[in-house]
Amino acid sequence: MMNPADTFRQEATDLLENLEENLLELEAAPTDRPKIDVVFRALHTIKGSGEMFGFSELAKFVHHLENAYELVRSGDAQVTQELIDISLGSRDHIAALLDAGQEEDIISQLVQSELHSTLLQRIAVLSGTGDTPAVPVAEGDAGDAASAAPMVEYTIYFKPEESALRNGMRPDLIASELAMLGECTSRVVTDMVPPLEEMDPSACYLAWELTLKSDAGREKIDDIFLFFDDGDIRVEEKAVAPPEPDAAQSAPATSDVPKAAEAAEPADAPASVEAAAPSAPKDTKPGGERRPEPVSKVESVRVQAHRLDELMDQLGELVIAQARLNGIAERLGDGALGSATEEIERLVTGMRDATLSIRMLPIAGVFGKFRRVVRDLATELGKDVSLTTEGGETELDKNIIDRLSDPLVHIIRNAVDHGIEDSETRIAAGKSAQATVSMIARQSGGEVHIEVRDDGGGLKTDIIRKRALERGLIEPDAEYSDEAIHQLIFAPGFSTAATISSVSGRGVGMDAVRNFIEDLRGAVEVKSETGHGTSVTLRLPLTLAIIDGLLVRIGQGDFVLPLASVEECVELSDEETQNDRHRSIINIRNELVPYLNLSEIFGFERRADALNRVVIVNAEGKRIGLMVDDVIGQHQTVIKSLSDYHRNVEGLAGCTILGDGSVALIVDPSALIKSFSNQFREAA
Amino acid sequence: MDQVVEMQPRNVADGASSVGVAADSFMALTFDLNGERFAISVKHVQEVIDPLEMTHVPNADPFAPGLINVRGAVVPVLNVQYRLGMEASAQTPDTRFVVIEAGSYDERTTFAIVADSVHEVLEVEPAQIHPAPALGLKWPSAFIHGIIQAADGMIIFLDTETIFQPATAL
Repeated sequence: MMNPADTFRQEATDLLENLEENLLELEAAPTDRPKIDVVFRALHTIKGSGEMFGFSELAKFVHHLENAYELVRSGDAQVTQELIDISLGSRDHIAALLDAGQEEDIISQLVQSELHSTLLQRIAVLSGTGDTPAVPVAEGDAGDAASAAPMVEYTIYFKPEESALRNGMRPDLIASELAMLGECTSRVVTDMVPPLEEMDPSACYLAWELTLKSDAGREKIDDIFLFFDDGDIRVEEKAVAPPEPDAAQSAPATSDVPKAAEAAEPADAPASVEAAAPSAPKDTKPGGERRPEPVSKVESVRVQAHRLDELMDQLGELVIAQARLNGIAERLGDGALGSATEEIERLVTGMRDATLSIRMLPIAGVFGKFRRVVRDLATELGKDVSLTTEGGETELDKNIIDRLSDPLVHIIRNAVDHGIEDSETRIAAGKSAQATVSMIARQSGGEVHIEVRDDGGGLKTDIIRKRALERGLIEPDAEYSDEAIHQLIFAPGFSTAATISSVSGRGVGMDAVRNFIEDLRGAVEVKSETGHGTSVTLRLPLTLAIIDGLLVRIGQGDFVLPLASVEECVELSDEETQNDRHRSIINIRNELVPYLNLSEIFGFERRADALNRVVIVNAEGKRIGLMVDDVIGQHQTVIKSLSDYHRNVEGLAGCTILGDGSVALIVDPSALIKSFSNQFREAA
Repeated sequence: MDQVVEMQPRNVADGASSVGVAADSFMALTFDLNGERFAISVKHVQEVIDPLEMTHVPNADPFAPGLINVRGAVVPVLNVQYRLGMEASAQTPDTRFVVIEAGSYDERTTFAIVADSVHEVLEVEPAQIHPAPALGLKWPSAFIHGIIQAADGMIIFLDTETIFQPATAL
């Protein structure tokens, strides 16, 4: 179990992420009412639960920003560029405060920082509250409602649940919040405290009776108790002088509100797991790259990622054990066992798909971050750039998504820094002054393709060629196609930036990107057209854990080819194999397809009973044959990574355990073809 | 997959200290390669098992020729003889795989080494270890921690820090 403060941090982190997205959308459409409400609500929730869990500096800070949005909401202020700038800056500051957690020195450092006071100053100017930023949390609240509500005396009975203290409830904070609303006295009710021998020291047996004279309005009080839907809370109100003429209103109104908070404002309660998520999409314009969440409320549960990893590991073991069971059933040939085994196989496959789908997340979350990246970069470099995204609903394994940010940041930076020209150059070239960077995700077979496209000047082929010559990456007198030259940007240490800017050009970019993506068993490609822009495409597998494989035999060993890349299997006649070793080409329906002899590449003895089968795979956009000794069949493959001892062996993607307990290696066709392409150039 | 010797190094060590062995003495596993006797600290030894069928990794470094399945975990097999510049020996009924777990806490690797035969677990006093002579040894000195002078002869004490390093890290 996570402790409540951690839960709050996680939820607040999510809220802050959404907040950034919403702010950027608000920047584009400053009068979007629902969006303003979403921003306000997010701030309100962060403040409310922050205060609750002892993040009081954070809550104080958020309070000021919330006030600014309160003014916007009431129509007394407008969403301006300044407000968005401040809000984004504040968002980052709030995130920093959140990260600091309960570490007093870091918090006080942050609070005393120049940034902190500058932000507060700017917020104060916007909210028209002058230059007194150090307002206590509730003061503004009381002020806001002052004109509306009459002075009322409330009697509040508050009995938290027994487990409340263990859950991080702070009665003192509640009392002090109430005290901010008006004149407050409290009395502790000790009737329920059991005899010492029966007492659990961590349980809460106390109740409080609070009397509050306040003109803040009932709603403010309910707000304070918003998060205590498990305790017993009763509020009685009695109007105080001057008496209202309306008798009905002034009559003492008693109401039991144990669950009032929940009923009143469900969208605000951070205790409900999906606090921000379901409320946000309702306010989203159609066509935005939002998560494809149905309008109806979806029950969701927050699970720590490592538990999913554990589940996946267990499932992997199950798949292996099931393969072993299959083997035994086949050997015994017992009909009943056979059908039970088939049933289990079907269930395991279903479970595999269900588990994998739990881990699948829409890519929109990653895309969302980049609006900020592009905005900040464009401002820094003085360029006018807009980001469009497409296919945000495309799903990818969480582990892959988590590792995509860094490479995408590199690519986006390159696009904005190197690819996109300044406005004058663009206009001179007959293009729109504002440049566009597009991020497009789409699923293609067993892969997800993420394309980052800019409409800038394209790769500078001549400069790349010159740099490549200097670095000895290409031969001076050989002919290279432009396409081949463009791929050189992925070479280690390659950078063409004339000056090293703070943004990119440190020569680590594209090389690192390629390594990163290859670690994820993916590939990266670049296409460029001079004057029209560059497009970098990341090709990624849907998942890292389990794949459908084709089991083949080569020499003495069993190998797995990823089924996603297999197109067909053909058999070679003996005459065809008599060809010269270096001219291995096979004729398939009048198409000449080159092939690699895997037992030769792997240095294995050819088996006497080898069948000369060729598996045609599609890798790196080419059709290529892989000659194996025998094709055994389809195999659900749990991918295990190779240790440091074998990680550098060419052409292997990992290993797996087969049903009989033996270890089989997984072939990576793309890597294999790349590392044996020299041999290939001769062949093709 | 029957196990010949099951060893739990921690128990061995604890047992030793409880019967009053000098605090800095330690236990070493001794085994034979090509007729020479070698030792490694038992601290890292997980178990000693009968040879398993090994999957050969094509084009791999001869130091790490293949993989085995040790109860569901894929474990690389290391050829210590190759690293010591010795001839590989043929498998005999005495051949054993020694499964070793090494590395720091968060980055542990498990691997197996092939021994012609496993001899015993020996208690070694620090005084028994002599530095390897600069000359006169036929093995690369980087992999040798010292020579143990035991009752029945010399034992070459391997340096677990270096001898099992992947080739890329050397």
